[in-house]
Amino acid sequence: MLDTVFIGLSLGSVLLLVALGLSIVYGSMGVINMAHGELVMIGAYTAVLSQIYLDINLFAAIPLAFVICAGLGLLIEKLVIRRLYNRLFDTLLATWGVAILLQQAIRLEFGLSFFGIHVDGLGPGLQSVTVPKVLSEPIMLGDFVLQPYRTFIILISIVLAAFTWFLMYRTRIGQQVRAIMRNKEMAAACGIDVKKINALTFAYGSGLAGVAGVMMSGFKTVMPDMGSAMVVDGFLVVVVGGVGSLVGSIVASGVLGQLTSFVAFFSNDIIARAVVFAVVICIIVWRPRGLFNYKGR
Amino acid sequence: MLQLESVNSFYGGSHILHDINLEIEKGKIFAVLGRNGVGKSTLLKTIMGLTSSMTGKLLLNEDDLSTKTTFSRARAGIGYVPQGREIIPDFSVKENILMGRFADINGKVEIPELVPELFPYLMDNLNRAGGLLSGGQQQQLAIARALATNPDILLLDEPTEGIQPNIVEQIEECIITLNQKLNLTIILVEQNIRFAKRASHGFVFLDNGRVVLTGKGAELTDELANKHLTI
Repeated sequence: MLDTVFIGLSLGSVLLLVALGLSIVYGSMGVINMAHGELVMIGAYTAVLSQIYLDINLFAAIPLAFVICAGLGLLIEKLVIRRLYNRLFDTLLATWGVAILLQQAIRLEFGLSFFGIHVDGLGPGLQSVTVPKVLSEPIMLGDFVLQPYRTFIILISIVLAAFTWFLMYRTRIGQQVRAIMRNKEMAAACGIDVKKINALTFAYGSGLAGVAGVMMSGFKTVMPDMGSAMVVDGFLVVVVGGVGSLVGSIVASGVLGQLTSFVAFFSNDIIARAVVFAVVICIIVWRPRGLFNYKGR
Repeated sequence: MLQLESVNSFYGGSHILHDINLEIEKGKIFAVLGRNGVGKSTLLKTIMGLTSSMTGKLLLNEDDLSTKTTFSRARAGIGYVPQGREIIPDFSVKENILMGRFADINGKVEIPELVPELFPYLMDNLNRAGGLLSGGQQQQLAIARALATNPDILLLDEPTEGIQPNIVEQIEECIITLNQKLNLTIILVEQNIRFAKRASHGFVFLDNGRVVLTGKGAELTDELANKHLTI
């Protein structure tokens, strides 16, 4: 049973990393970023490629993936999203387009070998990451088997969630992001450069997605469409937790992670997914703005 | 000095303000008057850069702000207190006030000197959520936030609207004090003619987005008000 709780915690941790970025970006910019999952995928490929070509391990791949995905996010914001502010459906379609573009670009370069097809110049099979030895050998604690890699994922998520909280609630840049989330016009009238802060927010959210990708590369097959499912799960967390709510994202990812883990333990993954969707539907019917949203006069 | 030269303002395809020409001298209170829907709030939003687009010239102390974004105008010295106050409900009183400091990028991140004197209630409740304050207290907070931008000119959109009478007097006194102590230029959109007569050094009546009459404060009479404000 403790194993199940632990698996739920690690699932929730990856969900949290994906959802944090989505939540901040949607909350401050009103952009539903359909390419967020592909940024997770790019993060995972960064881990794979850096291991092969730069001979660096998973620990070093974390900051590298953050920087690469943040840079890519900055580029997407400047080239696409900035031109489509306040046009929800247009940004949705445009970011979906970006998602397909990224997915196909990666599939062209690295993806064919997954199907056993090897074409010269299109790259070798690059679908797995070797987890450092210190994270791969289970530790026995009485009857409980502690999986170091899952523990590592949980710790990284806690550290990044705490850092994000600090950034958002204890720094002037975080105050600007929160002000834009609540009232963009008034934020600008108070001297906040909304475009610049939005670009930085998007880059930070993309960087978090990259870290989530590195984390996933250690226990999931790295493939071009691995991010598509993640973006759906991430949005479930955002919707349940409440848009822009850090606490909401933490609670929702914990609840959904545990729910998936427990239902899968007693039945299977498919039923677990169905149950998660049913619970999410019930929650949004009961609280359309999520479990945690702000109130005021 | 703030100058508007042949200013037109638009919300999308709707042409709201037509050929506005105004000159507002430094250190004066200037009242913008007119019936509902004639473009008074739009005039302030246009000055702040919050409408979809504008044509014409907007000069603050001879700096051309016509093509500047909202945040650049705030940093150039335009402070804004919108209708409905628009404070951030889940920010503390302190956070709401300090939001204004983003406009003064080289200044210290601290509450402006005059705020404790003008709004002691706010100073006693710095950690309270802004959304929990009464309407009058929120209005004080919105003014304190605008003061934190260190403005040369303050745009006040119906600051006494929807506020209980005893607080209205406090707000009025505060506006006059700001003008006198800081030599602050104030553009005041106001339905309350009594206060406009008492405080303003100059006025403009708008109708259908056009200037129909301008004058000095002393020339603002009840007859004029009746003529231009009655429906």
